[in-house]
Amino acid sequence: MIPALEIKNLRKTYNSTIAVNDISFTVKPGEFFGFLGPNGAGKTTTIHCITGIARITSGSIRVFGHDVVEDYREARKQVGLAPQEFNVDIFGRVWDILDYVGGFYGMRKHERKERIEHLLEQFDLTEHARKEFRMLSGGLKRRVMLTRAMVHNPPFLILDEPTAGVDVELRHMLWNYLRELNKEGKTILLTSHYLEEVELLCNRVAIIHKGSIAAIDDTSAFLKDGKRLEHMYLEITKKAINTET
Amino acid sequence: MNIIGLWTFVRRELGRFSRVAVQTLITPWISALLYIFVFGRIVGSRIDSIGGVEYIDFVLPGILMMNIIMGAFMQTAFSLYFQRFARHIEEVLVAPLAYWEMIIGHIIGGVLRAVVVGAGIYVIAVLFSAASFTHVGLFIFYALSVAILFSLIGLLIGLWAQSFEQLNILNTFIIMPLSFLGGMFNSISMLPPLLKKLVVFNPFFYFIDGIRYAMIGIREANTNVGVLVIIGSLFVLGGLLWHLFRIGYRLRV
Repeated sequence: MIPALEIKNLRKTYNSTIAVNDISFTVKPGEFFGFLGPNGAGKTTTIHCITGIARITSGSIRVFGHDVVEDYREARKQVGLAPQEFNVDIFGRVWDILDYVGGFYGMRKHERKERIEHLLEQFDLTEHARKEFRMLSGGLKRRVMLTRAMVHNPPFLILDEPTAGVDVELRHMLWNYLRELNKEGKTILLTSHYLEEVELLCNRVAIIHKGSIAAIDDTSAFLKDGKRLEHMYLEITKKAINTET
Repeated sequence: MNIIGLWTFVRRELGRFSRVAVQTLITPWISALLYIFVFGRIVGSRIDSIGGVEYIDFVLPGILMMNIIMGAFMQTAFSLYFQRFARHIEEVLVAPLAYWEMIIGHIIGGVLRAVVVGAGIYVIAVLFSAASFTHVGLFIFYALSVAILFSLIGLLIGLWAQSFEQLNILNTFIIMPLSFLGGMFNSISMLPPLLKKLVVFNPFFYFIDGIRYAMIGIREANTNVGVLVIIGSLFVLGGLLWHLFRIGYRLRV
Protein backbone atom coordinates (compact mmCIF):
# COMPACT_ATOMS: atom_id res chain seq x y z
CA MET A 1 0.00 0.00 0.00
CA ILE A 2 1.35 3.44 -0.92
CA PRO A 3 1.87 5.52 2.23
CA ALA A 4 -0.06 8.76 2.56
CA LEU A 5 3.18 10.39 3.61
CA GLU A 6 6.69 9.05 3.28
CA ILE A 7 9.55 11.15 4.59
CA LYS A 8 13.07 9.85 3.99
CA ASN A 9 16.16 11.40 5.55
CA LEU A 10 14.68 14.89 5.52
CA ARG A 11 17.11 17.60 6.44
CA LYS A 12 16.32 21.28 6.49
CA THR A 13 18.80 23.98 7.40
CA TYR A 14 18.48 27.76 7.57
CA ASN A 15 21.99 29.07 6.98
CA SER A 16 23.94 27.30 9.73
CA THR A 17 20.90 26.37 11.84
CA ILE A 18 19.66 22.80 11.52
CA ALA A 19 15.88 22.90 11.82
CA VAL A 20 15.20 19.28 10.82
CA ASN A 21 17.97 16.73 11.08
CA ASP A 22 17.67 13.57 8.98
CA ILE A 23 14.16 12.47 9.94
CA SER A 24 12.31 9.57 8.36
CA PHE A 25 8.79 8.32 9.00
CA THR A 26 5.65 7.26 7.17
CA VAL A 27 1.97 7.89 7.70
CA LYS A 28 -0.41 5.21 6.46
CA PRO A 29 -3.55 6.06 4.49
CA GLY A 30 -6.48 6.61 6.83
CA GLU A 31 -4.26 7.18 9.83
CA PHE A 32 -4.85 9.94 12.38
CA PHE A 33 -1.26 10.87 13.12
CA GLY A 34 -0.11 13.12 15.96
CA PHE A 35 3.07 15.08 15.36
CA LEU A 36 4.26 16.51 18.66
CA GLY A 37 7.18 18.48 19.94
CA PRO A 38 8.11 21.60 21.85
CA ASN A 39 8.15 25.02 20.17
CA GLY A 40 10.97 25.21 17.65
CA ALA A 41 11.38 21.41 17.51
CA GLY A 42 10.87 21.28 13.73
CA LYS A 43 7.15 20.43 13.38
CA THR A 44 6.18 23.44 11.31
CA THR A 45 9.39 23.26 9.26
CA THR A 46 8.59 19.64 8.40
CA ILE A 47 5.06 20.66 7.42
CA HIS A 48 6.43 23.50 5.31
CA CYS A 49 8.72 21.03 3.51
CA ILE A 50 5.77 18.71 2.83
CA THR A 51 3.57 21.50 1.46
CA GLY A 52 6.15 23.43 -0.57
CA ILE A 53 6.38 26.52 1.62
CA ALA A 54 9.99 25.59 2.45
CA ARG A 55 12.73 24.22 0.22
CA ILE A 56 14.11 20.84 1.21
CA THR A 57 17.86 20.87 1.94
CA SER A 58 18.22 17.09 1.41
CA GLY A 59 16.12 13.93 1.59
CA SER A 60 12.77 13.25 0.00
CA ILE A 61 9.07 13.51 0.73
CA ARG A 62 6.30 11.67 -1.07
CA VAL A 63 2.57 12.23 -0.64
CA PHE A 64 0.52 9.27 -1.85
CA GLY A 65 3.55 8.31 -3.94
CA HIS A 66 4.04 11.74 -5.49
CA ASP A 67 7.38 13.42 -4.86
CA VAL A 68 6.72 16.91 -3.47
CA VAL A 69 9.49 18.41 -5.62
CA GLU A 70 9.48 16.40 -8.84
CA ASP A 71 5.73 15.84 -9.01
CA TYR A 72 4.64 18.86 -6.98
CA ARG A 73 1.32 19.46 -8.75
CA GLU A 74 -0.06 16.01 -7.93
CA ALA A 75 1.51 16.00 -4.45
CA ARG A 76 -0.07 19.36 -3.58
CA LYS A 77 -3.51 18.30 -4.80
CA GLN A 78 -3.46 15.55 -2.17
CA VAL A 79 -2.82 17.90 0.75
CA GLY A 80 -4.95 20.44 2.59
CA LEU A 81 -3.08 22.63 5.06
CA ALA A 82 -4.53 24.55 7.98
CA PRO A 83 -1.50 26.45 9.27
CA GLN A 84 -0.80 27.77 12.72
CA GLU A 85 -0.86 31.40 11.61
CA PHE A 86 -3.56 33.27 9.72
CA ASN A 87 -1.73 33.44 6.38
CA VAL A 88 -4.63 35.00 4.55
CA ASP A 89 -5.59 38.21 2.78
CA ILE A 90 -7.14 39.93 5.79
CA PHE A 91 -9.12 42.33 3.57
CA GLY A 92 -10.59 39.47 1.56
CA ARG A 93 -14.15 38.24 2.12
CA VAL A 94 -14.56 34.72 3.44
CA TRP A 95 -16.32 33.49 0.30
CA ASP A 96 -13.67 34.97 -1.98
CA ILE A 97 -10.81 33.50 0.05
CA LEU A 98 -12.33 30.02 -0.28
CA ASP A 99 -13.33 30.53 -3.90
CA TYR A 100 -9.81 31.59 -4.94
CA VAL A 101 -8.24 28.64 -3.17
CA GLY A 102 -10.67 26.26 -4.89
CA GLY A 103 -9.72 27.84 -8.20
CA PHE A 104 -5.99 27.47 -7.52
CA TYR A 105 -6.64 23.74 -7.14
CA GLY A 106 -8.36 23.65 -10.52
CA MET A 107 -11.95 23.29 -9.28
CA ARG A 108 -14.65 24.47 -11.66
CA LYS A 109 -17.07 27.25 -10.67
CA HIS A 110 -20.08 25.02 -9.90
CA GLU A 111 -17.87 22.55 -7.96
CA ARG A 112 -16.45 25.38 -5.87
CA LYS A 113 -19.86 26.85 -5.17
CA GLU A 114 -21.30 23.54 -4.05
CA ARG A 115 -18.28 22.64 -1.93
CA ILE A 116 -17.97 26.07 -0.29
CA GLU A 117 -21.68 26.21 0.57
CA HIS A 118 -21.41 22.76 2.15
CA LEU A 119 -18.31 23.65 4.19
CA LEU A 120 -19.67 27.01 5.32
CA GLU A 121 -22.76 25.26 6.62
CA GLN A 122 -20.68 22.54 8.24
CA PHE A 123 -18.54 25.10 10.07
CA ASP A 124 -21.43 27.44 10.85
CA LEU A 125 -19.92 30.19 8.72
CA THR A 126 -22.74 30.81 6.25
CA GLU A 127 -23.79 34.12 7.81
CA HIS A 128 -20.16 35.31 7.75
CA ALA A 129 -19.48 34.43 4.10
CA ARG A 130 -19.56 38.04 2.89
CA LYS A 131 -17.57 39.48 5.79
CA GLU A 132 -13.95 40.51 5.50
CA PHE A 133 -11.60 38.12 7.27
CA ARG A 134 -10.23 40.86 9.53
CA MET A 135 -13.73 41.54 10.90
CA LEU A 136 -14.11 38.00 12.29
CA SER A 137 -13.45 36.84 15.85
CA GLY A 138 -10.47 34.58 16.59
CA GLY A 139 -12.61 31.44 16.63
CA LEU A 140 -14.29 32.29 13.34
CA LYS A 141 -10.91 33.00 11.75
CA ARG A 142 -9.70 29.57 12.86
CA ARG A 143 -12.79 28.00 11.28
CA VAL A 144 -12.10 29.78 8.00
CA MET A 145 -8.55 28.41 8.01
CA LEU A 146 -9.87 24.88 8.47
CA THR A 147 -12.51 25.37 5.82
CA ARG A 148 -9.86 26.65 3.42
CA ALA A 149 -7.78 23.50 3.94
CA MET A 150 -10.76 21.38 2.91
CA VAL A 151 -12.09 23.28 -0.10
CA HIS A 152 -10.49 20.99 -2.66
CA ASN A 153 -11.49 17.92 -0.64
CA PRO A 154 -7.97 16.52 -0.24
CA PRO A 155 -7.38 12.98 1.04
CA PHE A 156 -4.63 14.19 3.39
CA LEU A 157 -5.16 16.98 5.90
CA ILE A 158 -2.34 18.68 7.77
CA LEU A 159 -3.60 20.61 10.74
CA ASP A 160 -0.96 22.69 12.49
CA GLU A 161 -2.38 23.52 15.93
CA PRO A 162 -5.94 23.89 14.66
CA THR A 163 -7.49 24.35 18.09
CA ALA A 164 -5.07 26.99 19.39
CA GLY A 165 -7.08 29.82 20.87
CA VAL A 166 -10.55 28.40 20.14
CA ASP A 167 -13.31 28.02 22.68
CA VAL A 168 -14.39 24.69 24.18
CA GLU A 169 -17.52 24.37 22.02
CA LEU A 170 -15.61 24.81 18.80
CA ARG A 171 -12.88 22.49 19.96
CA HIS A 172 -15.43 19.72 20.63
CA MET A 173 -17.23 20.44 17.37
CA LEU A 174 -13.92 20.23 15.56
CA TRP A 175 -12.93 16.99 17.26
CA ASN A 176 -16.19 15.37 16.19
CA TYR A 177 -15.79 16.67 12.67
CA LEU A 178 -12.21 15.42 12.38
CA ARG A 179 -13.24 12.00 13.72
CA GLU A 180 -15.94 11.87 11.05
CA LEU A 181 -13.49 12.84 8.33
CA ASN A 182 -11.03 10.22 9.53
CA LYS A 183 -13.79 7.59 9.54
CA GLU A 184 -14.58 8.54 5.95
CA GLY A 185 -10.97 7.68 5.10
CA LYS A 186 -9.14 10.97 5.28
CA THR A 187 -5.58 10.81 6.54
CA ILE A 188 -4.88 13.48 9.14
CA LEU A 189 -1.61 14.79 10.50
CA LEU A 190 -2.24 16.86 13.58
CA THR A 191 0.14 18.99 15.63
CA SER A 192 -1.07 20.31 18.93
CA HIS A 193 0.15 21.39 22.32
CA TYR A 194 -3.08 20.01 23.83
CA LEU A 195 -1.89 16.47 24.45
CA GLU A 196 -5.29 15.24 25.62
CA GLU A 197 -6.56 16.16 22.18
CA VAL A 198 -3.86 14.06 20.53
CA GLU A 199 -4.50 11.22 22.97
CA LEU A 200 -8.18 11.31 22.14
CA LEU A 201 -7.91 11.54 18.36
CA CYS A 202 -4.67 10.03 17.08
CA ASN A 203 -3.85 6.37 16.33
CA ARG A 204 -0.13 6.99 16.16
CA VAL A 205 2.17 9.65 17.49
CA ALA A 206 5.64 10.92 16.64
CA ILE A 207 7.58 13.23 18.92
CA ILE A 208 10.14 15.48 17.34
CA HIS A 209 12.74 17.19 19.47
CA LYS A 210 15.45 19.56 18.25
CA GLY A 211 14.92 18.46 14.69
CA SER A 212 15.12 14.68 15.32
CA ILE A 213 12.44 12.08 15.89
CA ALA A 214 12.69 11.22 19.60
CA ALA A 215 9.88 8.62 19.60
CA ILE A 216 7.27 7.19 17.25
CA ASP A 217 4.67 4.58 18.11
CA ASP A 218 0.99 3.75 18.40
CA THR A 219 -0.81 6.03 20.82
CA SER A 220 -1.65 3.00 22.98
CA ALA A 221 2.08 2.30 23.46
CA PHE A 222 2.51 5.76 24.97
CA LEU A 223 -0.38 5.11 27.33
CA LYS A 224 0.68 1.80 28.88
CA ASP A 225 0.84 1.36 32.64
CA GLY A 226 -1.94 3.87 33.04
CA LYS A 227 0.28 6.76 32.04
CA ARG A 228 -0.98 9.78 30.13
CA LEU A 229 0.54 11.01 26.91
CA GLU A 230 1.62 14.18 28.69
CA HIS A 231 3.81 12.21 31.16
CA MET A 232 5.39 10.17 28.41
CA TYR A 233 5.93 13.29 26.29
CA LEU A 234 7.72 15.05 29.14
CA GLU A 235 9.81 11.95 29.89
CA ILE A 236 10.85 11.57 26.26
CA THR A 237 11.71 15.21 25.69
CA LYS A 238 13.59 15.33 29.04
CA LYS A 239 15.47 12.16 28.11
CA ALA A 240 16.38 13.70 24.78
CA ILE A 241 17.76 16.76 26.58
CA ASN A 242 19.76 14.57 29.00
CA THR A 243 21.18 12.49 26.14
CA GLU A 244 22.40 15.67 24.48
CA THR A 245 24.07 16.96 27.66
CA MET B 1 -0.93 23.68 -17.31
CA ASN B 2 -3.37 24.69 -14.55
CA ILE B 3 -5.66 26.95 -16.60
CA ILE B 4 -8.35 27.34 -13.92
CA GLY B 5 -5.61 28.11 -11.39
CA LEU B 6 -4.07 30.73 -13.63
CA TRP B 7 -7.45 32.31 -14.37
CA THR B 8 -8.19 32.36 -10.64
CA PHE B 9 -4.88 34.10 -10.07
CA VAL B 10 -5.87 36.77 -12.58
CA ARG B 11 -9.35 37.09 -11.02
CA ARG B 12 -7.76 37.60 -7.63
CA GLU B 13 -5.47 40.33 -9.02
CA LEU B 14 -8.47 42.03 -10.66
CA GLY B 15 -10.36 41.82 -7.38
CA ARG B 16 -7.41 43.29 -5.51
CA PHE B 17 -7.16 46.42 -7.63
CA SER B 18 -10.87 46.91 -8.10
CA ARG B 19 -11.60 46.77 -4.37
CA VAL B 20 -9.30 49.78 -3.88
CA ALA B 21 -10.42 51.51 -7.08
CA VAL B 22 -10.04 55.01 -5.64
CA GLN B 23 -6.34 54.38 -5.13
CA THR B 24 -5.67 52.28 -8.22
CA LEU B 25 -7.93 53.82 -10.88
CA ILE B 26 -9.62 57.05 -9.80
CA THR B 27 -6.38 58.66 -8.53
CA PRO B 28 -4.43 58.25 -11.80
CA TRP B 29 -7.47 59.38 -13.81
CA ILE B 30 -7.87 62.55 -11.72
CA SER B 31 -4.15 63.17 -11.82
CA ALA B 32 -4.08 62.72 -15.62
CA LEU B 33 -7.13 64.97 -15.96
CA LEU B 34 -5.30 67.70 -14.03
CA TYR B 35 -2.09 67.24 -16.05
CA ILE B 36 -4.02 67.43 -19.33
CA PHE B 37 -6.08 70.41 -18.19
CA VAL B 38 -3.28 72.44 -16.55
CA PHE B 39 -0.28 71.54 -18.73
CA GLY B 40 -2.14 70.78 -21.92
CA ARG B 41 -4.92 73.32 -21.96
CA ILE B 42 -3.92 76.23 -19.67
CA VAL B 43 -0.11 76.27 -19.99
CA GLY B 44 -0.24 74.72 -23.46
CA SER B 45 -2.39 77.55 -24.86
CA ARG B 46 0.57 79.88 -24.24
CA ILE B 47 3.15 77.56 -25.85
CA ASP B 48 3.83 77.49 -29.55
CA SER B 49 3.24 74.21 -31.32
CA ILE B 50 5.96 71.56 -30.99
CA GLY B 51 6.84 69.72 -34.20
CA GLY B 52 3.75 71.18 -35.80
CA VAL B 53 1.26 69.86 -33.20
CA GLU B 54 -0.48 71.60 -30.33
CA TYR B 55 1.19 71.22 -26.93
CA ILE B 56 -1.75 69.22 -25.52
CA ASP B 57 -1.32 66.65 -28.32
CA PHE B 58 2.42 66.52 -27.68
CA VAL B 59 2.13 66.05 -23.92
CA LEU B 60 -0.71 63.50 -23.85
CA PRO B 61 1.31 60.44 -24.96
CA GLY B 62 3.86 61.10 -22.20
CA ILE B 63 1.14 61.32 -19.56
CA LEU B 64 -0.45 58.17 -20.91
CA MET B 65 2.85 56.26 -20.90
CA MET B 66 3.74 57.37 -17.38
CA ASN B 67 0.41 56.09 -16.11
CA ILE B 68 0.75 52.79 -17.97
CA ILE B 69 4.17 52.37 -16.35
CA MET B 70 2.93 53.30 -12.88
CA GLY B 71 -0.23 51.16 -13.12
CA ALA B 72 1.66 48.02 -14.13
CA PHE B 73 4.51 48.57 -11.69
CA MET B 74 2.33 49.38 -8.66
CA GLN B 75 0.03 46.43 -9.32
CA THR B 76 2.68 43.73 -9.33
CA ALA B 77 5.06 45.30 -6.79
CA PHE B 78 2.41 45.97 -4.14
CA SER B 79 0.51 42.76 -4.79
CA LEU B 80 3.55 40.53 -4.39
CA TYR B 81 5.02 42.49 -1.50
CA PHE B 82 1.71 42.50 0.39
CA GLN B 83 1.32 38.75 -0.16
CA ARG B 84 4.78 38.22 1.29
CA PHE B 85 4.16 40.70 4.12
CA ALA B 86 0.83 39.14 5.19
CA ARG B 87 2.15 35.67 4.30
CA HIS B 88 -0.82 34.76 2.15
CA ILE B 89 1.69 34.03 -0.61
CA GLU B 90 1.66 30.64 1.16
CA GLU B 91 -1.87 30.10 -0.21
CA VAL B 92 -0.33 30.12 -3.67
CA LEU B 93 2.85 28.24 -2.76
CA VAL B 94 0.92 25.22 -1.43
CA ALA B 95 -1.35 25.13 -4.50
CA PRO B 96 -0.61 23.11 -7.65
CA LEU B 97 0.61 26.17 -9.53
CA ALA B 98 3.92 26.34 -11.39
CA TYR B 99 6.20 29.30 -10.65
CA TRP B 100 5.86 30.48 -14.25
CA GLU B 101 2.07 30.43 -13.84
CA MET B 102 2.50 32.72 -10.83
CA ILE B 103 4.67 35.08 -12.92
CA ILE B 104 2.19 35.09 -15.81
CA GLY B 105 -0.76 35.61 -13.44
CA HIS B 106 0.93 38.64 -11.92
CA ILE B 107 1.89 40.04 -15.33
CA ILE B 108 -1.67 39.73 -16.64
CA GLY B 109 -2.86 41.55 -13.49
CA GLY B 110 -0.32 44.34 -14.08
CA VAL B 111 -1.17 44.66 -17.77
CA LEU B 112 -4.92 44.71 -17.08
CA ARG B 113 -4.55 47.49 -14.54
CA ALA B 114 -2.34 49.46 -16.94
CA VAL B 115 -4.88 48.95 -19.74
CA VAL B 116 -7.83 50.06 -17.58
CA VAL B 117 -5.92 53.13 -16.35
CA GLY B 118 -4.74 53.91 -19.90
CA ALA B 119 -8.22 53.48 -21.38
CA GLY B 120 -9.65 55.90 -18.80
CA ILE B 121 -6.99 58.48 -19.66
CA TYR B 122 -7.68 58.02 -23.35
CA VAL B 123 -11.37 58.76 -22.71
CA ILE B 124 -10.36 61.91 -20.81
CA ALA B 125 -8.13 62.88 -23.75
CA VAL B 126 -11.06 62.39 -26.15
CA LEU B 127 -13.03 64.88 -24.04
CA PHE B 128 -10.20 67.37 -24.59
CA SER B 129 -10.09 66.48 -28.31
CA ALA B 130 -6.46 65.41 -27.85
CA ALA B 131 -6.67 61.69 -28.63
CA SER B 132 -5.42 60.35 -31.91
CA PHE B 133 -3.65 57.34 -33.44
CA THR B 134 -1.19 57.47 -36.31
CA HIS B 135 0.11 53.91 -36.05
CA VAL B 136 -2.37 51.72 -34.17
CA GLY B 137 -0.20 48.57 -34.29
CA LEU B 138 2.78 50.42 -32.86
CA PHE B 139 0.58 51.98 -30.19
CA ILE B 140 -0.60 48.53 -29.06
CA PHE B 141 2.98 47.25 -29.11
CA TYR B 142 4.32 50.10 -26.96
CA ALA B 143 1.41 50.10 -24.52
CA LEU B 144 1.47 46.33 -23.96
CA SER B 145 5.22 45.72 -24.05
CA VAL B 146 5.98 48.56 -21.63
CA ALA B 147 3.15 47.38 -19.34
CA ILE B 148 4.66 43.87 -19.36
CA LEU B 149 8.13 45.28 -18.78
CA PHE B 150 7.03 47.28 -15.74
CA SER B 151 4.97 44.39 -14.42
CA LEU B 152 8.23 42.41 -14.42
CA ILE B 153 10.11 45.25 -12.74
CA GLY B 154 7.31 45.50 -10.16
CA LEU B 155 7.63 41.78 -9.45
CA LEU B 156 11.38 42.13 -8.94
CA ILE B 157 10.85 44.97 -6.49
CA GLY B 158 7.99 43.10 -4.81
CA LEU B 159 10.34 40.16 -4.26
CA TRP B 160 13.28 42.23 -3.12
CA ALA B 161 11.59 44.78 -0.86
CA GLN B 162 11.67 44.22 2.89
CA SER B 163 9.55 47.26 3.76
CA PHE B 164 6.86 49.49 2.24
CA GLU B 165 9.46 52.25 2.01
CA GLN B 166 11.69 50.13 -0.23
CA LEU B 167 8.72 49.57 -2.55
CA ASN B 168 8.70 53.27 -3.37
CA ILE B 169 12.44 53.59 -3.99
CA LEU B 170 12.24 52.73 -7.69
CA ASN B 171 9.37 55.12 -8.27
CA THR B 172 11.06 58.01 -6.47
CA PHE B 173 14.58 57.58 -7.80
CA ILE B 174 14.09 56.00 -11.23
CA ILE B 175 10.58 56.11 -12.72
CA MET B 176 9.63 59.68 -11.86
CA PRO B 177 12.94 61.45 -12.70
CA LEU B 178 13.63 59.44 -15.86
CA SER B 179 10.06 59.99 -17.12
CA PHE B 180 10.31 63.73 -16.59
CA LEU B 181 13.78 63.88 -18.17
CA GLY B 182 12.77 61.51 -20.97
CA GLY B 183 10.67 64.05 -22.82
CA MET B 184 7.32 63.59 -21.12
CA PHE B 185 6.47 67.29 -21.18
CA ASN B 186 9.00 68.62 -23.67
CA SER B 187 10.85 67.98 -26.86
CA ILE B 188 14.43 66.90 -26.18
CA SER B 189 15.56 69.77 -28.38
CA MET B 190 14.56 72.01 -25.42
CA LEU B 191 16.98 70.23 -23.04
CA PRO B 192 20.37 71.69 -22.03
CA PRO B 193 23.22 70.33 -24.22
CA LEU B 194 24.53 67.83 -21.65
CA LEU B 195 21.09 66.31 -20.97
CA LYS B 196 20.42 66.22 -24.70
CA LYS B 197 23.48 63.98 -25.10
CA LEU B 198 22.57 61.80 -22.13
CA VAL B 199 18.92 61.30 -23.07
CA VAL B 200 19.78 58.51 -25.54
CA PHE B 201 20.79 56.41 -22.51
CA ASN B 202 17.44 56.99 -20.81
CA PRO B 203 15.12 54.06 -21.65
CA PHE B 204 12.06 56.12 -20.72
CA PHE B 205 12.88 58.45 -23.61
CA TYR B 206 12.30 55.54 -26.02
CA PHE B 207 9.06 54.47 -24.30
CA ILE B 208 7.58 57.98 -24.40
CA ASP B 209 8.90 58.79 -27.84
CA GLY B 210 7.63 55.50 -29.22
CA ILE B 211 4.07 55.95 -28.02
CA ARG B 212 4.14 59.59 -29.10
CA TYR B 213 5.14 58.50 -32.60
CA ALA B 214 2.35 55.92 -32.59
CA MET B 215 -0.17 58.57 -31.53
CA ILE B 216 0.81 61.77 -33.33
CA GLY B 217 3.49 60.68 -35.80
CA ILE B 218 6.31 62.74 -34.29
CA ARG B 219 9.54 61.09 -33.18
CA GLU B 220 12.90 62.20 -31.90
CA ALA B 221 14.40 58.81 -31.06
CA ASN B 222 15.42 55.93 -33.25
CA THR B 223 12.36 53.63 -33.14
CA ASN B 224 14.44 50.55 -33.89
CA VAL B 225 16.64 51.24 -30.87
CA GLY B 226 13.52 51.71 -28.75
CA VAL B 227 12.00 48.40 -29.88
CA LEU B 228 15.32 46.64 -29.21
CA VAL B 229 15.62 48.21 -25.75
CA ILE B 230 12.12 47.00 -24.85
CA ILE B 231 12.48 43.47 -26.27
CA GLY B 232 15.99 43.07 -24.79
CA SER B 233 14.80 44.23 -21.36
CA LEU B 234 11.81 41.86 -21.52
CA PHE B 235 14.12 38.90 -22.15
CA VAL B 236 16.65 39.87 -19.47
CA LEU B 237 14.08 40.65 -16.78
CA GLY B 238 11.86 37.72 -17.71
CA GLY B 239 14.85 35.36 -17.44
CA LEU B 240 15.93 36.83 -14.13
CA LEU B 241 12.44 36.53 -12.64
CA TRP B 242 12.00 33.02 -13.96
CA HIS B 243 15.24 32.08 -12.16
CA LEU B 244 14.30 33.84 -8.90
CA PHE B 245 10.84 32.25 -8.76
CA ARG B 246 12.30 28.85 -9.62
CA ILE B 247 14.73 28.96 -6.70
CA GLY B 248 12.06 30.50 -4.46
CA TYR B 249 14.05 33.66 -3.71
CA ARG B 250 12.30 35.37 -0.78
CA LEU B 251 9.24 33.23 -1.48
CA ARG B 252 10.03 29.78 -0.12
CA VAL B 253 12.05 29.77 3.09
